[in-house]
Amino acid sequence: MTPRATVDLRAYACPLTFVKTRIALERLAAGEVLEVWLAGGEPAESVPRSAADEGHRVLRVEALAAGGAGDVRVWLEKGAASVRAPGGLP
Amino acid sequence: MAGEGRGVGPGAGRIALTLADDRIARFSRQLLLPGFGEAAQERLAAARVRAVGAGGAVSAALAYLVQAGVGRLWIDDAEPVAPADATGWIYGQADVGTPRVDAARDALRALSRFCDVEAYPAGGVPTATLVAAPSLAQALHAAEAARRAGVPHVVLEPDADGGAIVTVPPGAPCYACARSTTGAGRPPLPGAAALAALAASELVHLVATPDAVPGRRVDLVRGVATVRPTSRLAGCACGAAPGAQSPATGPASGSAN
Repeated sequence: MTPRATVDLRAYACPLTFVKTRIALERLAAGEVLEVWLAGGEPAESVPRSAADEGHRVLRVEALAAGGAGDVRVWLEKGAASVRAPGGLP
Repeated sequence: MAGEGRGVGPGAGRIALTLADDRIARFSRQLLLPGFGEAAQERLAAARVRAVGAGGAVSAALAYLVQAGVGRLWIDDAEPVAPADATGWIYGQADVGTPRVDAARDALRALSRFCDVEAYPAGGVPTATLVAAPSLAQALHAAEAARRAGVPHVVLEPDADGGAIVTVPPGAPCYACARSTTGAGRPPLPGAAALAALAASELVHLVATPDAVPGRRVDLVRGVATVRPTSRLAGCACGAAPGAQSPATGPASGSAN
């Protein structure tokens, strides 16, 4: 499976890493794959977890060969829909 | 933005983000809300919100709208800041006697560089309206003008530390159909901001995610919100063509707050 697009977010910290990941995922159709490059540590841990919480599928997390220590690349398959509809009040 | 969207490897494409980095950083927490994404933030940035009434009871809502990223906020209020308006959200004691428009503009501009705060220009056409008028008659008039223009709006009815808000997207039952009819509310308590924040949140959703907010009324009593859909009064013209005037908005007396 080939990623539809790749974003390099190694220069960013939380919460921008996931905000930008989320915006990038908005541009894809359900089932398409986004590859995200993340710095090691907190971003590498929290972005896949947050993406899964929102209904996306984490296909792969692996070390980024060309990156710094701990840098990873993550493959995310876009889910069908957001986990909760907007609209504020219940 | 450093490296963002750079295509790497066969088949990888570029993703162009239209929101600039500074906006993403400023509104990052909001962008993380479920269902609230880049397009919603862009709709807010493009919005022109008219605030009918800028007294103390609604001042927290004005701050909320600016902080949420509304692009332009028009203040429509000819009154000066009264002692009871100096609730601390945007007005202080030093503002008493200053036109609300001027005091609100100065305070709100200091909160964000992403919002233009101005006096309502005569003939200006908003994309949404927040009604916090000082009387029921004025609230009905402002809400009806918005409805007839097809402009989504939210109306506040403060009552001590709570009250009610009525949310009216285009085509929904009008404010006259859903307003309180049990008498005038008590004056808003100084510093009470829950209702104003709720109203601002509704307006933000009306603008940012317009298909997600139905016509509804929220009653806030002792901190507990009760939501119910609004229903149209029999014979009200709000069920007819958008330009038709509602008979329920005829001369009214009493105070909305």
